[in-house]
Amino acid sequence: MSGLFGTTTSDVVATWVAAVVTLVVLGALLGERRVFGWSQHLLAGLTTGFLALIAVREVLGPRLVEPLAADPAGRPELWAGVALVATAAAAPWLPRQLSAIPASIAIGSLAAFALGGAVIGTLLPQIDASIVRSGGSVAATVGGVVAAVVTGLVLIGFLHGMPRGRKLAAAAGTGRWLLIAGIGGWLGFLILSRLILLVDRIGFLLGDWLGVAR
Amino acid sequence: MVVLALALAWQLPDAGWLRLSASDGTTADRMTTALDRLPDEPRVLVGFDPDIGTYAEIRPTVRALLADLLARDGRLAVVSLTAEGRALASAELARLARGRANADRLLDLGFITGAEAGLVDITRDIRLPDGVPDSLFAGMVARDGLGSFDAIATIGGIDLGPRSWVEQVAPRTGDLPMVAVVPTVLLPQVQPYVAGGKLAAVLGTPRDGAAYRESVELGNLDRLGEPFEPRSLPVLVGVLIAIAVLGQALGTRVMDALRAIRAREAA
Repeated sequence: MSGLFGTTTSDVVATWVAAVVTLVVLGALLGERRVFGWSQHLLAGLTTGFLALIAVREVLGPRLVEPLAADPAGRPELWAGVALVATAAAAPWLPRQLSAIPASIAIGSLAAFALGGAVIGTLLPQIDASIVRSGGSVAATVGGVVAAVVTGLVLIGFLHGMPRGRKLAAAAGTGRWLLIAGIGGWLGFLILSRLILLVDRIGFLLGDWLGVAR
Repeated sequence: MVVLALALAWQLPDAGWLRLSASDGTTADRMTTALDRLPDEPRVLVGFDPDIGTYAEIRPTVRALLADLLARDGRLAVVSLTAEGRALASAELARLARGRANADRLLDLGFITGAEAGLVDITRDIRLPDGVPDSLFAGMVARDGLGSFDAIATIGGIDLGPRSWVEQVAPRTGDLPMVAVVPTVLLPQVQPYVAGGKLAAVLGTPRDGAAYRESVELGNLDRLGEPFEPRSLPVLVGVLIAIAVLGQALGTRVMDALRAIRAREAA
């Protein structure tokens, strides 16, 4: 039972709509693909509408339009933002050298934040934590050694096109199998999440909608 | 047939040996200890970015954590950096309002664009959205930004979760304690942060979540938690069906290989 809906008329209507759409999606399991296709269009449309709504209400309005309207000369950086947005929107009709500027800035800044954060926040602290130090517990030492060996083997598994001996080829093969095992474990977690989602939807239909409480 | 089997399992009473909370409670204790270390009436920034595909798994634990923080007289400011997270945050805030949670203790900071860049923006200053009612808490957040909080609680999803907070916010905020609730699929990603001390506590499996829910004392705020505990029997039935289906595929391949070997030998 999700408990996301209350008891007002609008909540009851929302519960019925959610139940009908859930049945439509589950109906695809029985081969009813046409209505399921419509529900996919509905989801895409609602998602796009929601994104546009929060972009206008929570970003463009309060953070761009209103500050500019209040003080047009005092926020020059926002005019630069407007120019970049306009350039991106008009990209199909502008020369490639010009239209590439906003995309380059977006990709470059995102990569810089992600890479810098990954190195400072993850890579260096994790390397530091995985270094086997004298005086640590046996379990920590074994864990650190195993982590280092697995990391090394998986990295070797990514070597392509290099001359290899038998030992290196064996290490690369082991690394690839370890990688596949890791992905398999991750997919197992994902299946569990999806199963819980399916059970939750069944609980929603039986509990929230039909009121067939246990 | 699968759906019918799961629906039937949903109706059956839970067996005692299937109680998730009956297992090891070490991780739940770590979360409780981390929250106990916070000062009285803690001010907590809640990074609410679960995704719809995995939220069903963590929803009961998320509700228990929010109720637990409110039961500790905490003040919660909720912010989202993904659209799905914002939609779910709106729904949960509306649910808390229906449950008559103290509105003075909740602050909706809305949606911030830019994902990781948005997180960096949060570390510089926090702008209150339009329409936020004046309160001491809101004034403090507007004036001191991230410095006004005693802790960060991240509700993670596949798009954005504790990893991004650890990478972008932790290096810029020093020793602000951080706890997290994540779906199982993110556990391999965040577990090293617990071992490395970057996260004070993580609830990342249904079992740990159930143990935590059973351990919290919410008092009259019990109404803010999940009305019913999630059913474990239908999940077990689903896992068994999945194993049977995957096993059948594997068995078919093994049998084909054996037949091919026999055919070669016979030839």
